[in-house]
Amino acid sequence: MFGLRRPSASSSKEPLWREEFSIFTADERYVGRRQMTKFLTLTSLSMFAGNLWLLGRAAFSKDRPAYPAVKVATAGEIPVGGVKLFQYDNDQCILVRTGETSYAAYSQKCTHLSCAVYYAKEKNRLECPCHEGYFSILDGSVLQGPPTRPLPKVTLEQRGSDLVAVGMTGGAEPGT
Amino acid sequence: MKAPDTPLQGRGLTAMDGVITLIIILLIVQMWLLSATLAAYLAGHRSAVVPAAFVSGLIFVGCAALYGFVERIDRNARR
Amino acid sequence: MYGYEFYIDPSRCIGCRSCLQACEECETHRGKSMINFDFIERRESITSAAYVCWHCDEPTCAQVCPADAIKKGEDGIVHSSLKPRCIACSNCVLACPFGIPKMMEPEQQMMKCDMCYDRTSAGKRPMCATVCPSGALLYAKPEVVAHTRRETPTNVFYFGSQRITTKVFMMAPAERDFLSIDVEDYMLEENDVRFATA
Repeated sequence: MFGLRRPSASSSKEPLWREEFSIFTADERYVGRRQMTKFLTLTSLSMFAGNLWLLGRAAFSKDRPAYPAVKVATAGEIPVGGVKLFQYDNDQCILVRTGETSYAAYSQKCTHLSCAVYYAKEKNRLECPCHEGYFSILDGSVLQGPPTRPLPKVTLEQRGSDLVAVGMTGGAEPGT
Repeated sequence: MKAPDTPLQGRGLTAMDGVITLIIILLIVQMWLLSATLAAYLAGHRSAVVPAAFVSGLIFVGCAALYGFVERIDRNARR
Repeated sequence: MYGYEFYIDPSRCIGCRSCLQACEECETHRGKSMINFDFIERRESITSAAYVCWHCDEPTCAQVCPADAIKKGEDGIVHSSLKPRCIACSNCVLACPFGIPKMMEPEQQMMKCDMCYDRTSAGKRPMCATVCPSGALLYAKPEVVAHTRRETPTNVFYFGSQRITTKVFMMAPAERDFLSIDVEDYMLEENDVRFATA
């Protein structure tokens, strides 16, 4: 059984286990590399699948429902440089009074790993304590640190003496 | 496989090493692409997702082609 | 060594056992010789034969090893079993048509001739071939052998219907292309006189 097959025969169809556990050291090196290549190709496939999943989510996401209008605070409720935390669209948000009549509100979830950002008054910026990511108070863009995306900004409207949150920009989808 | 057809085997191994290096480079690019696409999507830039998926697909096809090349070398070397 | 082949000619063996002694001196298996040494028909003759591993192209010992412990390298040498893998099952000992592998009891490992790999991979000749006074074990270039020997080297063997090609050559009568060895030919008949006791 073993010797009858001529060594020089082409297209020798050995069972798979004989190929994978070859008695020839030269073949062993091939097997190791071949398995590595197969693994790398599968990794590539999985990353492509990741991109496809994102594509699917983007393509089949529902039409955006309107953001609700939610009263956040009254004018004068917080002092200049003070903050107020509030819930908007299932998200924890932070309202900052940057000046006498100017306010800014952002999602409090740091875009890096979702730690809660706080307002650093002396530096006039939003800071994430976990990995020292800093965001601009003006538009939520990243000043330094590991975050890659700006902080989602809450659109504020003044209706009478009330501050109303009417939307959010820079986030992925409402309701997520 | 018999003992030393050594020049052919040496070339086959070198070719396989080269292919693995190429695939790893492609994978690094694809990895970056995936993370950048995710970041863009979460930031609200939906338009980036479609070309990114297309390019990622191209990279995968490239990796698959390189793997097919490796299989061909393997089969030749076994003969 | 490149260009050199190993030739076995049992008809030249004078039974001096220099090969056994020389093989024993190898550092990796000191005290244990890997030469297979036989007396042929000792009752009637002084014929002896010394063999080394034939390093088959498709080594039966490697193919039957359940632990994948026996490997054939790129240069054609079939090595002793890998110590971490060998489970001392003696499958290879039973399977080898030439009867070469030895199961080393204290070490629980199959060991056999590996063509003095530490020497031949560094440009030296195997110990046994170096010391054999009669040329029964010879490590030389094929041209030298063709020039100095009447016999023809062959590396094709038939065991029954099993065809085996090897790296090591055996000197055979000039007109032969291969050597056929049938176990039945070497088994004693029932009425053989050698069975008689006392």
